Amino acid sequence: MDFETHDYDVLVIGAGGAGLRAAIEASAAGVQVGLICKSLLGKAHTVMAEGGVAAALANVDDRDSWKVHFADTMRGGQYVNNWRMAELHAKEAPDRVRELEAWGAVFDRTADGRILQRNFGGHRYPRLAHVGDRTGLELIRTLQDEGVHRGIDVHMEFTVVSLLATDGRASGVVGYERERGRFKVFGASAVILATGGAGRAYKITSNSWEGTGDGHSLAYHAGAELLDMEFIQFHPTGMIWPPSVQGILVTEGVRGEGGILLNRDGRRFMFDDIPDAYRKQTADNEDEGWRYTQGDKNARRPPELLTRDHVARCIMREVRDGRGSPHGGVFLDIAWIKKRLANGEEHIRRKLPSMYHQFKELADIDITKEPMEVGPTTHYIMGGVRVDGDTQMSSVQGLFAAGECAAGINGANRLGGNSLSDLLVFGKRAGEHAAAFAREHRRVSIDTAAARAAADRALKPFEAGPGGGENPYAIQSALQEMMQALVGIVRNEDDMQRALQGLTALRTRVERAVVTGHREYNPGWHTSIDLGHLLTVSEAITRSAIERKESRGGHFREDFPEKDPRFAMFNVVTAKASDGSMQVRRVPLPAMPAELKQIIEDQK
Amino acid sequence: MSDHITLHVARYRPEKASETTFDAFELPCPKEWVVLDGLNHIKDRMDGTLSYRWSCRMGICGSCGMLVNGEPKLACATFLSDYAPGPVRVEPLRNFPVIRDLVVEMGDFMSKLTRIKPWIVRQVEKPLSDGEYRQTPGELDEYKQFSMCINCMLCYSACPIYGLDPHFIGPAAIALAQRYNLDSRDEGAAERMQILSEHDGIWGCTFVGECTKVCPKHVDPAGAIQRYKLQSAVEWVKAFVLPRAAQ
Repeated sequence: MDFETHDYDVLVIGAGGAGLRAAIEASAAGVQVGLICKSLLGKAHTVMAEGGVAAALANVDDRDSWKVHFADTMRGGQYVNNWRMAELHAKEAPDRVRELEAWGAVFDRTADGRILQRNFGGHRYPRLAHVGDRTGLELIRTLQDEGVHRGIDVHMEFTVVSLLATDGRASGVVGYERERGRFKVFGASAVILATGGAGRAYKITSNSWEGTGDGHSLAYHAGAELLDMEFIQFHPTGMIWPPSVQGILVTEGVRGEGGILLNRDGRRFMFDDIPDAYRKQTADNEDEGWRYTQGDKNARRPPELLTRDHVARCIMREVRDGRGSPHGGVFLDIAWIKKRLANGEEHIRRKLPSMYHQFKELADIDITKEPMEVGPTTHYIMGGVRVDGDTQMSSVQGLFAAGECAAGINGANRLGGNSLSDLLVFGKRAGEHAAAFAREHRRVSIDTAAARAAADRALKPFEAGPGGGENPYAIQSALQEMMQALVGIVRNEDDMQRALQGLTALRTRVERAVVTGHREYNPGWHTSIDLGHLLTVSEAITRSAIERKESRGGHFREDFPEKDPRFAMFNVVTAKASDGSMQVRRVPLPAMPAELKQIIEDQK
Repeated sequence: MSDHITLHVARYRPEKASETTFDAFELPCPKEWVVLDGLNHIKDRMDGTLSYRWSCRMGICGSCGMLVNGEPKLACATFLSDYAPGPVRVEPLRNFPVIRDLVVEMGDFMSKLTRIKPWIVRQVEKPLSDGEYRQTPGELDEYKQFSMCINCMLCYSACPIYGLDPHFIGPAAIALAQRYNLDSRDEGAAERMQILSEHDGIWGCTFVGECTKVCPKHVDPAGAIQRYKLQSAVEWVKAFVLPRAAQ
């Protein structure tokens, strides 16, 4: 097999927010940049982000500062975050937002023309710059246009099957273009992974079909380490009915605008369980909570705006104890604000236009009149490629990662809005440092034998004899059912050991997967390739979750339901051993500098 | 209502046949299923080779545009039960070359979007430390509607002019130009006007209005085109009537 080859100084895999921001920065540094995306440009998962981008601009409340944002992020992540990343993120997010604005991004505005900011869970002050509830779309559009403007080379509908590395240095990738099914090799001095998440390992997820953990898996197999893969964010409010839209996100912005959570009996159950770490900042009555959502600076936030991990668990408890809604969730009510606001209906439609249409069009529900039914949905993975906080380089030289597929900034739980700012801040850093790396290091040659072997492996499902194999969709849905049931929101040792056995069995089934038809635009074939990534990621999640014998953030174990201070001292690192097996180990957290510790103390 | 519905899905497999054919699939039809659920059902359980684009399932990425009974629609926001008892015809978007089954070639569309310079044009950039460029809520309202476009291409598929003359720059590109022209932070209106006033620009449009009807985001490209024509005509008249200094 001869490959068509392309060579770049910096190759970016993934064209969501992080990938585009990285490509723009590398291009601005004057190196040759190639950008590969799994789907079409501009359709990446980032478009689905609704609420906004978190940055301490202090436009709405001048008490906000990077220090408060830093402390909020660390508290939300339960202090196992990479403190350096949390620090850089809080300090640099405001400039990244202003830069995006200067490139033309649309933002809602204050009366005097500054960027408007809204409340969100876990953020002490109104901090989310936004445009209605379609901030992700606007962010992607702006970056896409800026990228096109700069003349970045884009390869669309291209799937990477293997990341090539020679002697611990990234050298490029091999993959195929969907349209013709032809394999191509991309050589590069530096490779940036910006592939997003892995929600498709679960049955109920807000992620689109592309979210199969490709970057996590590619990095792992190329020798990079993964960090804290046990931390998955189950967003508390996904649509649960009708079944065809199960998992689709209902923005936290609904709660930010005053939406409340009710159980079957109409009880506002979030007041029943407020964690000690947040008690001082949380309203203890409904009236104060409402005033907070309406901008009263002396009021404390309502309990609906506690962190996502906590709200998701409270919802699960209501459902488990028989107080759930008819379809197994709880009620999210925004219509009630009509009691407080004369123009309530119009207010809802103006502040939450996408939500209004989403429920009207997909569920035939008018949210200005009726409550929504919601329940937790797999939304985000805090774990990912272990990177250096300043440069975003992984343990493989020349391999960088940014955005959701990288780990560190979010610790055990991500705050809403910190994802869009993460991808701007660290996308830029990855682009900058990858370009510098590319200038300083000569390209290493591609191991064509390895590229050929990877392509052969990818083509294997075509070779199975007729009737001899299994439909890859059936295997994928078995995997999703299993991860949902055994390594989901509530975990325990026995379930997860069964999941490990289940993964071994699924791996055997994948070996026998068979696809029909030709290579051109064959979705069955694509699924067989996604499956490989999903299995790697699922195993990493499960092994890491077994290793962390406590409950923290997105990781909840009913056999160890409490936080354990001994587990606050380390991260869980996953790597491939020399015999090819997956190994997890505990790596102590680096000591935090005194001045950062002081900031956290001051903000308690 | 029957609990099943038949989908007639266009199949184009150039390696097999040069013509489009239709495959019939009988599907369950729960009332909450959208066309995309039907297609996913076919792909996952009946025919793993069926090709189409989709992503978000929530009408925001604009990937799943296709013709449903001849009308351009987003498959994720079109209920199958609205077409009961069926059958329902599903075809690739009109006015685009087909690559395979329901997947169309969109290179022309992408290049048209970039032709109108969809970025802020500004003579002097100020440093980030000076803060954001101010824009009042009123100024924002001027163009916000035109910024809602999700590049789903339904308007190109509905546009009879684009169907006849592929050089026509098309509804979404003109709406996008208007989104930047009306943005108080932008100084590029004159440059864009030049591009749009060329032969294949706005003057191609005979104001059929189909683009606005099919737009899932209520962007109103037809309105943008109308406004543009008026503005362009005024500029043209001004060039003759007024002395240069007053233009």
